[in-house]
Amino acid sequence: MKILVVDDSKLARLSLIKTLKEHEPSAEIFEAENGLIAVELFKNENPRVVFLDLTMPVMDGYEALKLIMSIDPKAQVVVVSADIQTQAQAQVLALGAKMMVPKPINSDKMSDILNRLVF
Amino acid sequence: MVESGFSEDHLDVLKELMNIAVGNATASIADLLQTFGTMHIPQIMISDMVGLDAYIKNAIPEEKQYYITKQLFGGIFSGEFLFVICENSAINLGRHLYDVNQNPTDEDIHDAVIELTNILSATIISRLTEELNTKVQFFVPSTERIVGNSIIGQDELLNYHKIIIISTEMVFEDQQIGGKIFILTKDEMIKKLKALIDQKLEELYA
Repeated sequence: MKILVVDDSKLARLSLIKTLKEHEPSAEIFEAENGLIAVELFKNENPRVVFLDLTMPVMDGYEALKLIMSIDPKAQVVVVSADIQTQAQAQVLALGAKMMVPKPINSDKMSDILNRLVF
Repeated sequence: MVESGFSEDHLDVLKELMNIAVGNATASIADLLQTFGTMHIPQIMISDMVGLDAYIKNAIPEEKQYYITKQLFGGIFSGEFLFVICENSAINLGRHLYDVNQNPTDEDIHDAVIELTNILSATIISRLTEELNTKVQFFVPSTERIVGNSIIGQDELLNYHKIIIISTEMVFEDQQIGGKIFILTKDEMIKKLKALIDQKLEELYA
């Protein structure tokens, strides 16, 4: 299963991938450090799940989410953000994200996220 | 490796932890103002006083009046939290919090700015230190109105030799309220901060 992890912070990607691997050790993981690279990787690799940060340089998560959903309206995008405002959550859900979860993601939270996705 | 023994990994960790902390703070302030705010990507810089001077001059236009609130925090990681808000933003904040149409009194504006800073500093510093597995104690904040970038001339700031500047910005566009946040820590604290980040990195790579 292909999974795309998008965050400008190497630490955030590393931490999320470490937790993800505990639950999905065989997953093929792709990394992107901004929305623009993420959209290109999404087009080329068609991952089953995208973990997407919002606050990033070059192209932020909102714009990347719009583009990913326009490429595949059934894309499973999990927004992972430090921005925990209810309006931010409403905005990303309206754009088509499956869910929005606050950073950082621990093992229990990851388990819950994966259980709510369709594989 | 950059100055003061901080590697790119250290800076990345600090930036990400600040991102989480500022996200929490933006949400708290959004609740207070009952609105939606935008958070900016935190900037981290290790500098001497000349660098701080240049940084502040670049970040804060000198022609405007500002309210500057300073709050010291202490513990294994200690330093100074600065919140800088321009006069118009502070007036808008006062109007919004006191629900009045005309300009609030100076005292009310001071109270509003202090309240905002308390929430910001408590949320940001507490969250940052929680992520670094340590604790801090907060001291009483003080607010004053100053002109432009004269904050760099404040006596206590001149005590810094080598400083780490963590800065970010939050904007509540509908209410026309925005402010800049600076966290300054110096000399010995930079080494302690590096040690705390090293622990965090060890946990991550374990």
